[in-house]
Amino acid sequence: MIDTLDPIPPGNIWAIDPSERVPIPFYLSTVQAGFPNPAENFLRQRLNLQDLCVQHPDATYFVEAAGESMIEDYIYPGSILVVDAALLVESGKIIVCWVNGACTVKRFVRYGKLVVLFPSNAHYTPLYIHPETDQFLVLGVVVRIVSKPPRWDSDQLKTAQDYVRTHRRE
Amino acid sequence: MYGLIDVNNMYVSCERSFNPSLNGKPVIALGNNDHCVIARSQEAKNVGIKMGQPLFQIRELIEQHQVQICSSNFELYGDLSSRLMSLLTNFADHVEPYSIDEAFVQIDTSFEGIYPSYQGLGSAMRDTVAQWLRLPICVGFGLTKTLAKVANKCAKTRPELEGVCVINSLESANEALSDFKIKDLWGVGSRYAAMLKKNGIETALQLRDVGDIDWVRDRMTVNGVRMVYELRGYPCRLLEINAPPKKTICTAMSFGQLIPDLKNITDALTTYLARCCEKLRRQESLARHVTVFLHTNPNRKTPGNGLPAKQYSASRSIRLPHHTNHLPDFLRYAIPVVENLLQLGYNYQKVGIILNDIVPESFRQQGVFSDWPDEKALQIGKTIDRLNHRYGRDKVRLASQLYQPDWSQVQGSLSQAYTTDWKQILKAS
Repeated sequence: MIDTLDPIPPGNIWAIDPSERVPIPFYLSTVQAGFPNPAENFLRQRLNLQDLCVQHPDATYFVEAAGESMIEDYIYPGSILVVDAALLVESGKIIVCWVNGACTVKRFVRYGKLVVLFPSNAHYTPLYIHPETDQFLVLGVVVRIVSKPPRWDSDQLKTAQDYVRTHRRE
Repeated sequence: MYGLIDVNNMYVSCERSFNPSLNGKPVIALGNNDHCVIARSQEAKNVGIKMGQPLFQIRELIEQHQVQICSSNFELYGDLSSRLMSLLTNFADHVEPYSIDEAFVQIDTSFEGIYPSYQGLGSAMRDTVAQWLRLPICVGFGLTKTLAKVANKCAKTRPELEGVCVINSLESANEALSDFKIKDLWGVGSRYAAMLKKNGIETALQLRDVGDIDWVRDRMTVNGVRMVYELRGYPCRLLEINAPPKKTICTAMSFGQLIPDLKNITDALTTYLARCCEKLRRQESLARHVTVFLHTNPNRKTPGNGLPAKQYSASRSIRLPHHTNHLPDFLRYAIPVVENLLQLGYNYQKVGIILNDIVPESFRQQGVFSDWPDEKALQIGKTIDRLNHRYGRDKVRLASQLYQPDWSQVQGSLSQAYTTDWKQILKAS
């Protein structure tokens, strides 16, 4: 029974028709005359990052990382994490979860009844979760990390230029 | 076998899905302009907050019980709803989204080998939705849609069933229907309920076992007969996989503040008409009949003396010479109408539009005295829709539409659009 008075804008109700979800792999041509395009039989759908990163579209969420606690696992501030809620949470996996209301990304380790969340940065300490006293809820397992490559600062650039200068053949 | 899946306290559950610190606390969601309560968590129900209650009446309750308030975030609710509907296709081939938080499914008998029982299938659905979307659902199974509705209600009201109720035998049907009040039955409104009660029918079981089916037909039309047959286990309402296009389209939202002047009202009218045209194009239709209405706030008191303020409301309909879904075509007629209706000196709360006489785009008739609608104009509408879909709502719009209007809605405690806007996604440290 719906718990509301206002009508829902129809734009927010989407009918799902699985029969319409058909990717068309080959290019159909209506060319009647002339030399046929020899590549036509080989035309395929262009590669799509979504297909690579997202296994369960209905259970996948994107989360932005903040802070440097996972820097050794290549998760930098501003990295976009692809989080799959359909996967099983196992010890050793990187997960996104809420601990007492705060959203965090850490490595999950189960130790008996205790859950421990390990950062991957030597400057941070692990987080102990007590099942009775702490509020703990898992969003999902991190399956991909999307980051921009780090930029060189002026010193690194200068070092590189110096290297070229000193090693260049006279 | 039919099933009805429904999310408990949908809007509040969606807020909790991305903010688990709301779990266990009383939470309410507010409707347009944060005026009144449109969803309550169980905790909020327990402290006595009523459905549809205006916010100002419950200020003390909110203070006293630390009730958490959420403005309605339909972007989030809509996305979670579509994820739910799509997820259900993993369990059943046929899914009919019935409302934002409800869906009918049809389970073929071939599934019977895969799941140990309907009870087990229901539990599997509940567990999956809880893990993937963090939403609590109830599942009801029955031989017909009406029985599935009854089963779902039982699953909701009887905690010992753990959210899944199956009506697949005469005994289970008798048990569920015998204490099921007739007014809660799907398709029975308050009038039919009163009429049936007067005739001694108070439970769904009594309606099912009614002796004289013609008596039902006389009083409740053929729909009543269908209802009785559905209760007896003969499906009369089938799954509507492809919803038929709408016959009427309406947009009427209250302003965030009261508006006295023509300029802002015409602007709101333009924006609402633009929405209506988008809706028309989405279902590939054209409309011809426009009704414009506007009114003041009927609950407003005059500041100072506290007497009820002077009220004004008016509406007018016009028939265009041709069918169209092109915004400027509608505006040419709607703006003079609103100029005509408007009386100066009042503060208006709402302006609204209703479109009627809707026909499919492909079956329109050419007007006798006009060449409209212009094919080019219809094509432009489609292009604008595609651009706005890609670059954000109202990125391409008429110059007369304000982008950040003064009258826009009040949404004091809106949560983020976690799943539909890159700038608003969840942050994890």
